[in-house]
Parts: sequence; C-alpha cells; structure tokens
Amino acid sequence: MSSGCSIRAIWILNNLDAVVFSRKFPVVEKRWRAACNADNDIDQLFASLPTHSDLADAFLDRKHREGSARGFGIRKSNSTLGSDSWVDDPITRHIVGLFINKEEEDIKNLLWPLILHTKGLYSILVLPLVEPRHLVAYARLCKRSDCGTALGMDDGLSSLLLDLPSVTGAFMVAHAIGDIITGDTVEPEVIVSAAPSVGGLFDSLTGSIGISSRAKPVNPPVASSSPSSTAVPGSVTADAPKIGSRPLDKDALRTFISSSMPFGTPLDLNYSNIFTIKANGFSATDLPPPDQKQPAWKPYLYKGKQRIMFTIHETIHAALYDRDEIPDTISVSGQINCRAELEGLPDVSFPLAGLNAANLEVLSYHPCAQVSDQGLDKQGVMFSPPLGNFVLMRYQATCALGPPINGFYQLSMVSEDKGAFLFKLHLMEGYKSPLNMEFCTVTMPFPRRRILSLDGTPSVGTVSTSEHSVEWKIVTSGRGLTGRSIEVTFPGTVKFAPWQNQRLSSSSRSSFGINADEDSDNEAENASNMVNEEHLMEKMNKDLPPVDLEEPFCWQAYNYAKVSFKVVGASVSGIAVDPKSVSIYPAVKAPIEFSTQVTSGDYILWNTLGKCPHVATIKRSNREDNADEFFNLISADEDLFIIHPSIRSLSTSLGTEKNKAVKKNENTFYTFHPLISSISPPIKGSNKIDQNTSLFISLTT
Amino acid sequence: MAEKAAAPPRSKPLTTQEWETLIEDFQNGVHHKWNSLDPLFDLLLSSLLRKDFPLFLKLQLLVFLDEFSLSFFTSHHHLLRLVDALKAVVHAPLDVVASTFKDQFMVSATSILICASEKNVIDPQTENNLVELLLTVINRPNFGSDRHTRGVACECLRELERWRPGLLSDVVGHLWSLCQNERTHASQCYLLLFTSVIHNIIARKLSVSILNTSVPMVPFNAPNCVTDSGSGSGSSSDLNVKELRRALAFLLEWPQLMTPCGMMEFVCMIIPVAVALELQPSMLKVQLFGMIHSFDPVLCHVVLGMYLRFLEAFDGQEGEVSRRLLLISRESQNYLVFRLLAIHWLLGFNQLIFEKTKPTIELCSTFYPAVFDPLALKALKLDLLAFSSVCAHVLRLKSGSDELIDPVKLFENGLVCVSSFKWLPPMSTETAVAFRTFHKFLIATSSHSDNDPSTTRNLLDSVIFRTLQGLLVNLMLESRRLVPVVVAFVDRLLSCPKHSWLGECLLQKFDAHLLPKVKMDYKMVYCFPIFDRIAENQTIPPRGLLELLTNFMIFLVEKHGPDTGMKSWSQGSRALGICRTMLTRHHSSRLFLRLSRLLAFTCLYFPDLEVRDNSRIYLRMLVCIPGKKLRDILSLRDMILGISPSSHSTSFFNVQSPRPSQKFKSFKKLSSCIHLERLGPLLVKQFWSLSLSNLVVSNTKPAYLESIRDLKAPVEEKDTEIIPETGRINQPQEPLRVMDSKVAEILNTLRKYFSCIPDFRYMPGLKVRISCSLRFESNTFNRMLGLDKNVSSLEEIDALPAIYATVLKFSSSAPYGSIPSYCIPFLLGEPYNKDPASQNVSLSIVPVGVGNDSREEEKYRATVVIDLEPREPTPGIVDVHIESNAENGQIIQGQLQGITVGIEDMFLKAIVPSDIPEDETPRYNFDLFNTLWEACGSSSSTGRETFQLKGGKGIAAISGTQSVKLLDVPATSLIQATERHLARFVVGVSGEPLIDAVWQGGIIQNVILEDASPVATSVTNHDTGPLRLTYNDEECENGTISNSRKRNLGCFLVLIFLPPRFHLLFQMEVGDVSTLVRIRTDHWPSLAYIDDYLEALYLS
Repeated sequence: MSSGCSIRAIWILNNLDAVVFSRKFPVVEKRWRAACNADNDIDQLFASLPTHSDLADAFLDRKHREGSARGFGIRKSNSTLGSDSWVDDPITRHIVGLFINKEEEDIKNLLWPLILHTKGLYSILVLPLVEPRHLVAYARLCKRSDCGTALGMDDGLSSLLLDLPSVTGAFMVAHAIGDIITGDTVEPEVIVSAAPSVGGLFDSLTGSIGISSRAKPVNPPVASSSPSSTAVPGSVTADAPKIGSRPLDKDALRTFISSSMPFGTPLDLNYSNIFTIKANGFSATDLPPPDQKQPAWKPYLYKGKQRIMFTIHETIHAALYDRDEIPDTISVSGQINCRAELEGLPDVSFPLAGLNAANLEVLSYHPCAQVSDQGLDKQGVMFSPPLGNFVLMRYQATCALGPPINGFYQLSMVSEDKGAFLFKLHLMEGYKSPLNMEFCTVTMPFPRRRILSLDGTPSVGTVSTSEHSVEWKIVTSGRGLTGRSIEVTFPGTVKFAPWQNQRLSSSSRSSFGINADEDSDNEAENASNMVNEEHLMEKMNKDLPPVDLEEPFCWQAYNYAKVSFKVVGASVSGIAVDPKSVSIYPAVKAPIEFSTQVTSGDYILWNTLGKCPHVATIKRSNREDNADEFFNLISADEDLFIIHPSIRSLSTSLGTEKNKAVKKNENTFYTFHPLISSISPPIKGSNKIDQNTSLFISLTT
Repeated sequence: MAEKAAAPPRSKPLTTQEWETLIEDFQNGVHHKWNSLDPLFDLLLSSLLRKDFPLFLKLQLLVFLDEFSLSFFTSHHHLLRLVDALKAVVHAPLDVVASTFKDQFMVSATSILICASEKNVIDPQTENNLVELLLTVINRPNFGSDRHTRGVACECLRELERWRPGLLSDVVGHLWSLCQNERTHASQCYLLLFTSVIHNIIARKLSVSILNTSVPMVPFNAPNCVTDSGSGSGSSSDLNVKELRRALAFLLEWPQLMTPCGMMEFVCMIIPVAVALELQPSMLKVQLFGMIHSFDPVLCHVVLGMYLRFLEAFDGQEGEVSRRLLLISRESQNYLVFRLLAIHWLLGFNQLIFEKTKPTIELCSTFYPAVFDPLALKALKLDLLAFSSVCAHVLRLKSGSDELIDPVKLFENGLVCVSSFKWLPPMSTETAVAFRTFHKFLIATSSHSDNDPSTTRNLLDSVIFRTLQGLLVNLMLESRRLVPVVVAFVDRLLSCPKHSWLGECLLQKFDAHLLPKVKMDYKMVYCFPIFDRIAENQTIPPRGLLELLTNFMIFLVEKHGPDTGMKSWSQGSRALGICRTMLTRHHSSRLFLRLSRLLAFTCLYFPDLEVRDNSRIYLRMLVCIPGKKLRDILSLRDMILGISPSSHSTSFFNVQSPRPSQKFKSFKKLSSCIHLERLGPLLVKQFWSLSLSNLVVSNTKPAYLESIRDLKAPVEEKDTEIIPETGRINQPQEPLRVMDSKVAEILNTLRKYFSCIPDFRYMPGLKVRISCSLRFESNTFNRMLGLDKNVSSLEEIDALPAIYATVLKFSSSAPYGSIPSYCIPFLLGEPYNKDPASQNVSLSIVPVGVGNDSREEEKYRATVVIDLEPREPTPGIVDVHIESNAENGQIIQGQLQGITVGIEDMFLKAIVPSDIPEDETPRYNFDLFNTLWEACGSSSSTGRETFQLKGGKGIAAISGTQSVKLLDVPATSLIQATERHLARFVVGVSGEPLIDAVWQGGIIQNVILEDASPVATSVTNHDTGPLRLTYNDEECENGTISNSRKRNLGCFLVLIFLPPRFHLLFQMEVGDVSTLVRIRTDHWPSLAYIDDYLEALYLS
C-alpha cells in the first residue's frame, strides 16, 4: 500500500450508453505513464485514456459480451476467456475491465479497474490509479485458461483488492457522485418530539448565517439492494422515475469533483460540507477555536441554542417459517443517528448499555467516535460531533422483545387457479406501553399471476387487491396499537387468471427443440388428473428468469407475505441511550432528546405449505449463555431447545420475562380454514402447539 | 450546431454554447475542426480573465485547459503567461473574483505546469514564481475568509512537491510553524503538505534541518537537490533523525482531525517515514488502530494496510481484525459492494496470515450466509467456508488435531442457502452460485501454480470429493434438468490442465454410480449430455454405458407405439449419437462386442427407419474400418475447422470456395496409382489384337447382326412374336423328317440339356466372374492429392492414406450385359517401400503363386469381383471407373486401367440338369460331350432342330463348326498344362498310357476313363462323320506330322460351356511329341480365339 487513492478519470454514462460527463486528472495520468515507463516489461500497457466515443463503444461491447452492464459476475458457460465473468467473482460486477478498441482484446487495451456504480439511469465509471503490476495481475487472472482460482492457494482477486486501497476510495467517490446525480444528498433522519424531524447542516447554520431553512429531509438512504421493489411493486419505488428523469446537474458535479479531489486525490467526500462551503464561503468573522484545531470534517462551528438529539432507527428483517425443521430468523439492523447542536468542539460521551440483552453483533462507528475498551455488556462511546445529522453508530442485533408480528401464513392451491389461504398473526405480543405500532400492513405479492377475485374477510382491518397483490391493512396510521397485543386471522380464497402466458412461452420454447420431452411432463400431469401442487409449482417455476446477484434469492419462486409496519416508543433490540448518562465536555447545559423508530425491512411470512429459502443457523455461544438461566430452570434437553424454532423465541423472551412467555404459549391455539384442513398432511404448524404444550407440562412437573 | 460553430471569425469571442461544443469535440477526440481558431490559447486565456464571462464557464474552461494542456502548452511562454494570469487572479480582491475561481485557477495552473513538464523544458523561474505565489497564499494562517483557498494552495504545493520531491525541503521549517498555527478546517491540508515534505526528505535522505527557518519563504528558489536533478542527494545522507522524530510525533497527534480520505493519504505517507525513523509500530497502532471500528470502508482499509505493513507488531490481533472484517460484511446498512470488499479483504488477509488462522466451528458458523444476504454475498461467504476447509485441511495434516471442523459439514451447511437450485430452472443464479461453490470446495487444496500432481490426487481421497460426487449423482437422478449444468461443471474441470484429472474421476464415478441407478424411461434422454461426456472419456470402460444404451434401445423398441413415433426417432438418434461419440473416442476393439450387438439390435428391430439406417452404417463402419481411420472419419474436427469461418454471420456469404472445387476434381492420372488387377492373369497376352477384332465385330452393326443371325437372331425374332406360331407351324413338319433312333436320342438329350440353360433375356443369365484386386500406392496417392505426409513414419498404418466408400463402376463395349458396380468401404494405401515391387507385379504377368508375399499385404488389397453376363462369348475390355473419398473429404473420381477379359474367362462347366445324381454326373457329361460332338458335326442331322431354353420362351439352334489344331508339344507338358488349366472341363480320358499319366497327376478326377483307346478314337471317328473328317484329317496329316506321331497315348475329351449357350468341344489325341486337337463348336467366332488360346496354353 504505497499509494493512497488517486483517480485517473471519471466518466458518467447515461442509459443510452453515451458519455454525458467526464473528468480526467492529467497529474494522476502522468504518474501512471511514469509508472508504466519505469517498468520496461509492461510499457506496452494502455497508456492513454480513451475518448468518449471509444469508452462508450467499449462499454457497450462489454454489455453485449456480459449480458448486462454489470455482467454475469460468475463464470457461466457463455463467459469468454478474458472477460470479467471469467474471473468468476461477484465483485466483477462492480469492478470491471474494458477493452478499448475491441478488435484486439489485448492486455494493451485493457482499462482496469473501472469502478462501476449504477445509480438512477446513470452508470458511473471511476478509474483509480493502480500500479501497472496490478493491472498485469488482473489481466493474468482473466486470461488464465484453467478452471479458476483455488482459494487460499492461487493469487486471486482477494489479495489484489487487499493491496488496492485506491479501489475502495474509488468506490466511495463513485457512491458520492451517484448520490449527487440523483439528488440523494440528504442526511440521516433525526426525529425530535416537537417537530417530526430536523434538517441538516443548513439548519445548523441558519442560526449563525441566516440562510433560510430547506425542506425536511427524507429517510436515510438504505443499502443498494432493497428487495422491497420486487416484493411490493409500486409501493416503494414510486419515486424511482422522478430520480431517473432528473437532469444531470453538471455544475454540482464539477463543483464536487473540483473541491473534493482537486488533483484526483480525494480529500473529503462529504458533499454537504462541500456545497455549504461553496454556497457560503467564509467570512473574516468566522474565527477558529482559540486553542483547538478545527477538524477538516467540521468546517463551520455551530452557534446558537444548544441541544443534542438521538434517534435510534431499527429495521427488522425476519423470515418466519412456522416449521419444525427450519428455525425462524429475526435480525435487527439499527443505527443511532445524532444531531449535536453544540457550540465549539465539545466531546460527547455516553455509556451504551444492554449490549448483551440486545445481542449486539456489529458495532461500527462514525469516524469521529472513539471507542473505549469494549466490555461484555457495556461500552463507552465518546465522540466529537460533526455538524448536522450524522450516523453515530450502526449495529446488528437480535430482537430482544420478540417479533412484533408472529404467526403463520398458509396458502394452498386448491386448483390451478385458485388458492386458499389463512393468516393467523399475533401483533405486539409482549410489547409494553411506550411501544406503539403506528401501522401494520400485510402484502401478498403474486407477481406472476393476475388476481381475478378475492374472497374472505379478516378479523381485523381492511383488504384491497391490485392486479398482482393483496394488501391487508391491519393497523392503519392514526389508530395505533399501544401497549396491547392483538390476534388477527384472515382466511380466504384468491382466484387467479388462468396460467396461460407462461404456458405459451414454454411451448414456444420447446418448439425450439430444447426440450423434446416437455410433453411427457404434461402427460404425467393429465394422467394424475388431480391438483398436484408440487407439479403446479414446477410448471410455474420452469421459466423463472434468473435474478441478479444483488438479490438474496429468486423472490418470484416463492409464496410469501410481506409485513410492513412501524413501531415507535422503544427499540426492539433493547439498546438505549440513557439521556441522563450523556455527558458533554466541556460541560454545557444542553437538553438531550431521544427517540426511537422501528420499521420493517424484509419481514417475510413464508407460506408454511410451500417452498421457502432458508439457511443453516449460526451457532451463537452468547445466545446459549443467555438461555442458560432458562435451561437450568426447566432442566430440559439442550438439543430440543436449539432445534425447535418456537422454543428459541421462547427462551429469548423468557430470559427477560419468563412468566409471560409461558402464558403466551398456553393461550395459543390455531384455527384452520375449512379448505385447508381438508388437505391435512402438510399442516405441520399444528404440531408446534403440542410440542410447546408438552414442554410446558414437563416444565411444571 | 457544431458545424456552425466550427469556424467563427477569429476576433469574435466564442459564445457559451460554442465553448461547450468545443470542449465536447475535444473530449471526443476531434480537435481538427477548431484548428482554425489558432491561437486558441490566447482566446482561452483572455476569456478566463474577462469579467463578464460567466463563472461556471470559466471553471469549465480551466478544467478543459487542464485536461488538454498538452495540446495548448507548447512552449514555456504559454506557461509564463498562465502563471502571470494566475498571479493577477490570486491577488485580486475576493469581491472581484470568486474564491472558487481562484481555487480552480491555482489547481489548474499547477496541474498544467506539472503535465507540461513532460513535453517542454520548464523555465525554473516560472516554476519558482508559481511556488512563491502559492506560498504567499498559505502564509496567512487562521485568516478568516480565505481559509479554503489556503487549503487548496496547500494541495497545489503538495502536488508540486510530489512532482519534484524535495522542492519545499528548504522551507520546511516555515511549513511546520504554519502547520502548528493553523486552526481552521484547512489544517488538514497543512498537515498533509508538511507530511509530504517530511516524507520526501526521508525518501531522498536530505539533510535538512526542519526547525530551521532561516531561509526566507519568499522569494522562493528551488533547492539544489531539485535543480541538480537529484545528484546532490547522495552526498548528504545524514538525516536529521531527532528533528524528524519530533515532527513525526507532532503529526501523529492530529489524525482525528482528518477526513477518511485525508487519513488515507496521511497514513500512506507516514508509514515509510515511521519505518525509516525506526518508530515503534505500536505508536502507530495506538493512534490509528481504533479506526478499524469505523464504518467508513476507507478507514478500515487504511488500518488493514498498516497491519499488513507491520504484521509482527500486530501479532495477536488477527482475530480482532478478522472479526471486524466479517462484521462489516454483515452490516446490512452498508452498500453491497463494501460488504463484498470486506470479504475479499478477509480472504486476502487470511491468506497472508494463513498459518495463524485456526478455523473453529464457532468462527466458521459466523461465515454462514444469512437468508437475506444478496446472492453475491452468499457466494463470497461460501468462498470463506471453502477457505476454512482449506485451513482445516492443512492444519489437520500438520497437527492432526481433531477439534477442527468437518469440511463436509461446512459444505453442506453453507449450501443450504442456495439449496433451491435443485428445483429452480437450471439457469437460475442460485444454480450458478451453487456450482461455483462446488468448484471452490473441490479444488480448494490444489493450486494451479504448483506443478505437483499429488495435490490433485489427494483431492480424490478427500471427503469433499466423495460428498460432491454423491451429491452430483443424486442431483442428476432427482432433477435431470440440471444435467447440462453438471456437464458444464465437468467440462470446466476437464478443460483445466491441472484438474482435468479430477473431471475424469468425476465421470468415472458417474459411470460407476449413476448408470446403474438411472431409471429406464423416456426422461433418460435428459442424462444424455453426461453420457456423452462419459462416452468421450477414454479412461472409462464403455461397458456400462453400452449396456445401458442397449437396454434403452430395447426399451424404446418395446414402448414404441402410435404415439411415440417422434420420440422413438429423436431418442434413438440421440442414443446413436452417443455410440458415435464412443466410436470416435475409444479403440474399436474395446467397443466391438457390445457396440456391435447394440447396433445390430437397433438395425434389426428399431421402429424408425432413419435410426436403423444410421445404426447399420455405424455397424458397417465398426466392422470394416480400422480404429484410427474410423475415429478420423467420424470426428467432425475437420468439418468444423472448415466451417468455422463461415459460421460467423459476417462471413456467411463469402464462404471459401476452393474446397468444393477441389472436391469434384477428377484425377486424370489416377490409374498410375490406383490399380485394379486380375487375380489370375490371362494366358493370352496379346489381348489387344483380339479385343480389337472383337470390338469391330461387336460395334459394327452388320457384323453383330450377322452373328446373331447365325446363332440366335432368328431365334430371338421368332421368339418375341413370331416363333410361337411358326413353332406350331413347324411342329407338324417335324414328324416328317427322317429320324433314326440314335438321332432321336441325341435330340432328346439335347432338349433336356438346353432346357437347363437360362435364357438371359428373361432371367439372370449365366455369370462369368472375374476376380480382381484393388490396391493403391500411398506415395503416389499422397502426391496426387497434394498431401504432405511425413515419410519417416511410413510403416505405421496410421500414417498411410486411405480411401473410403469406393465405388467401382464397370462398363464395356463388349456384349457383357450390364455389369454391377462394386463397393469397397475402406482401403488402406500400400506402404511406400513396396511400391517398386508391386509396380513390377502389375506390369508383368506373374503366376498366382508369386502372390505369396503379397498375401501379407492383403490388408492393402481389396478383392473385387466383376460379374459379367456375356451375351456372346467374346473377349473384351472392361472399363473401370472409380469414385472414392480421401480422408480429407476429397472425392476422387476417375478412370482406371481396364480389365482384360479373355476367352478363357468364358469357360464354364456344362450345366448338369438337377435330376442327374451326383455320381452319374461324369457319365452324363461324357454323354453330353458325345451328343454335342455329334450335333456339331457338319453332317449333323440336328442342324435344323431348335431347342427350347429354360423358361420356355427362347429357343436355340445348333449350327456346328469344326477345326483341327496340331500342337507340337511333348505329351508330358501337354498333360501338365491340361491338368492346370483345363482339368475341370475334361469329361473323358481314353488310352491306357494317358489314363496312367492322368492317374498319376491325380488332378483330373471324376471323368470317364476308357481303356480301349483305339475303340474310343474309332468311335469318335465313326461318330464324326467318317468321310469328311478323316479326309480333313488326312489332309492335315499328309505332311511330316503323321509320321512323327507314331504312338498315340490316348485322348482327352474336353467339354467347355460358353455362356450364354454355346459350347466348345476338344478331342485331343495325345501323342508323344505332338497332339492333335479336334475342335468342334456351335459358336464359330470363338474358334478365332481358341487358336491363340491353345497356343498360349501349350506352346509358351
């Protein structure tokens, strides 16, 4: 790691594969040429940057070769030697190589590593400076004729990437540029009790400089792979076209690039700082702190009424199976957003408690934070807050309170075009008073089938259908659910339009001669002449398109219901910031506000009667420790606890509230839709109750 | 618009739009159209300095100037003007010039200066001016309004310092104090500038005091170390270590001020400094290691870089770093790419600290993918698991500790996350990830870079291999759609030089475990791709597969019904395709038994005609063509090579033409290398004269008609329409004729006899077979085809050329009827060294016995039988036309040397009616001879009789001719020649001495032996019309001959049948020194040839 991060060039291509913006850094390019010249062996490397048209051609060419702009990422049968997918690594969807002047695919023409970041309709390509030997190493990788890298033995992409911080830096640059292009230059949301939210850096400055406040911020940008778009079409992606149609703000881009990396070496990628400096500049009255150095990430100091606000944002991801053989997985990814309106350059510190209860797994902090030695259950956090809203810390945890929505979803196809379903859900089970569920909606997406009609009434809430989904609003906003739990059921049947389009396409496929025996399958089906759900699924899945590597699995292959909700009042992981223990140095009196917001991420109820994706469970030692108390209490077989999914949730919740958890199971009973009960064998969920009950009995005896 | 803007008047400044077009054109590489605007540079510079010019455009122009500086700054004057302009801008008050413009101008000017130095010699003064200007800018620490500009100026200076290391080493003291003083956010830039100068001082080992501020900052002069281009650096190698350490200590106080990117720059520079100054790495660690807990990927990477640089200092921290990296990958708030990067770092990092990694179940289970992890992440996490299995493997080899994890468990647990690949469509991403993981796990412990094959062999014993093999077998049995994917997987291994062996082993396992379990149904066809691979592989005995395919064929035959027509056809053809693959890959001896059985079954019973046909072809090939050649024919390699250029759409229409034209070239000199020769040479060598006369006879219509008239023409004419009536008319006349009982007996015998002779017009006539052999000379053949074969390896059969599917077509001007063509599936060329000998053979007529040594070469010869159905017993020439295929697909066509047909070829034994018992045949023949002898006599009373031929439609009449020939040969040689050539035609021998001689020879058997030779001769004499024959006889013997022929040894009676219905009768009166042959025939033209024949037979 001799050199840091320098960028040779940046290109932005639009959806028509034309270069709409570019920036080259001749100083860096000069260094590249010097490096090439210094090494005689590799002086034939691509020495000059391509023109716009050459680059666009090469990009298009790669797109044709690799199937998409990103490429396969994994070596497939149609991968060609020398292409990125030949390297057989998913990251080649992000770090790509282009052969300029495609006639001769030679290392001489290879432009690598190009950081590819797609945002909105634009493709951003960033070319960081690497050493020529790195390029040669990569060329060797993608030209090797053998079957692929042996892990740990061959020099692979991993050691190359470890050696290339410039690639990491270039990704940061690419993402920053992507945010600017699409206007996602918002700061993390911080909620205060008085107003719904507080703005960012501009607002911090309004007190001192007097610039009018801007519009309220929206949600913090989530990770790039949001499955919600596939799961619930139209609900979340509503703003996608707006982003796409936004014209490229070249001025903003130029300003950002010129200020953040005047010579191609990034210095600061914080766009709000950059744009504020551009807009405001500095006046002679802006004095630096008398005895301290002002950090580079805090060009302005706050002046005005002082206060600190913390907001815990938690997103629950859950895969609820309601099966004996597959344990449910529930995980919480949370972050503490902060806004410290404090004068000068104070240090703020507070102890983080309840780490063990929350099963905190990942703790990563804002660069401004310093972490004292991590204890088992406590961790002190000290930070010197930057201006505006920022994410102080991120974590992964388990749901200490138990799942806010628990239950099952069963869908059974009684005929090819008719499905009977049953929901049975518990909401806010074991959740106490400050916790308030603002809304809760369950969506059943059927992206591949057209819904004709829906029959059935839920015990609570309203139902609406669109062409490809059923939406059940259990709790609507304004009528929140506070401090009580409810149980809801929703039996019904849904009728679909006949499965036709796909069948046509499949027959046309067989006419290509790929499958001469397609008809034999149908024969078998006709012979049985009964509803064979397995068979139906197989038929439907036959022409499922492959998903992108950015998806967790092929969503369309499964039947599931997705729950979206919002809970406020407390975190579900159990993590909390005690306002009393927050200290500021040098001491000032500043009110400390604290809020929490829990939303659903991928909160999926898998159809208990169908296929579902799952994973091997992670064995967590601390989790077992946590359950120790419970084990001792009931002196039960350990294996039973680990295997049975419902018991796991029992054990975690019992750790805190034993009696209540037991009671929960005692009251549990399930009713079945008449249509479903007729298909008796697959319903395994019923076993679960018995097991719980028997366990409970063994516990009391 | 661009065209309009292309040539504006020189004086007029460009509009905003024109400027933008200009920039765009430059970026697209089309400068030339703006060349008219020369000097563009002046225009640019003046535009930059104009006050009314919009700011955004000014900034754009600055960047443009920077990016294309090489096109504009062609002399140092340009640079000078630029720096002057910059000076003006920088010194202008803020309200006149926006600070962003100032900043960008500084940056662009610096960049231009640095880049232009590549092409131009930079005036040192220009350079100094710029540095001086920048130094004045930064020399105002903590000043309120221009703090950002100062930061930018620091960056400019840092870039200059990077370009000319040591440039600022003289003023480093001032820089340090500025650094200490600056308290605004620009301090990062000051710190970086100072660090960079320190870094260069240490890198170039400059002995500068960094506390010294005695050299004034302004006016600036480049220090000697820079102007001397580095020569002075060596002399003063004493670093001022103490001061430098102080500086370093100062610098390490401020990392928390920096942005992540700034930190990366800083650490990159500080690490070599710390190393040079022998700083304790723990100092760095204390200050910087905490950054690993940041969620900024850049900072994490910085820590990693530092860690890798000081591995020993961070000893014991691997766990923490690994854990941290893993946690980054699990942060779902992060962008996917950073999570992927984190795993890559972890992989690369673990590779470095390979020895220290101890995978435990605890650790490995944290690598398990989570359910909502994107597939890309799942794939990489599976890589991690594979890597752990490598570590476990290595550690187990080393220590044998058993607390390590079980790789199979890792593998299986990991795979759960993509387990849906088993039922999803085969092209699903899950499938791709799963098979990628198979591959990673499988080859995990065997690197491509090491050449030791044992590592691969070890893999075979590995549990992973066994697991995977079982998994794949089950996979193929359960979901047959995945077979192509498995095939691709095996192919991938097979194509790898290092792991092809592994692929083979997989196939072997499939052969052993998959084949017995495959269910016999129509869906088995899904498995055919893998069968094909198994068939291709020579290491796998084809037994199992052949058995399976045979059973499959039986299954298809049994299941065949009205609905399964297409299915039977397609699946049968595909099964045959596998057989074909086997034929191309295996030695035929390995396949022969089972494959021939399979093919035979198929061509007998398969319901579909095409499949039957194909299997017949394969069977024939398998039987006829030696292995190597067979493989060559069947492999499509050449075809593909020939076709490949045209398979591209672009060249579809210009298919290379030489190939087809070459294909149908007929070779004129073919006869010089391909020889068709008679097996038994003709006795009569002067064939040409005979055939010539024959040609004349047969070709000229009158002659032909004449011969017909004499012999058959009236018969035929009558036969077709008139004869039945005339026959009826004639029949009443017959009784009128005077006939004694003897004549009646003769007629009866002849009627009976002729009714056995087939009438060739209505039924297959009597055939004359001429056996020939076909051979060709490799050498000449190759030369003719233009093949360059290595002459050294001649002896090997594989090197010899071959011809395939040879068809010989025969035609003749002689009346031989239609001659069926003859096919030879395969023929090897003769080895080259035999050429001269065999050429000799072909030139001279060598007795059959000489062919002994050529029997060894039988494989180089093919027997050809020419079936003639003569209409007339004449010699002639059969023309031979050959059509064949060479190995390279060329079609060879041409005329070979004709085959001479002699009169002796026409000799057949007389037909014996079927009601004659075998032991009476000699008597019958003898009687027939006598009868015919009578009938052919000139005074015969049978001359007007007609005899019905077999079939009853045609009739024949006998019109005899007789002749006498005296042969001056001793009796012994005559007897020998007769025994050799005429033995089978002899029907009677008389005379005691002759009988004794024949008895001794033992060749002439089953004939009538008559002791009383005088009687016999007298009888014949009597029988053959006493007057004229004796008269003739006497006339002949009037001279010397009769005297010399004192002793008459005996007599041979020879009966020869000449197809279609004629006869040749010899009565040979053998004497001691000469023999008198009396000849009678009912086909007078043949007498002409007989004379020559007898001479050749006895006198040569």
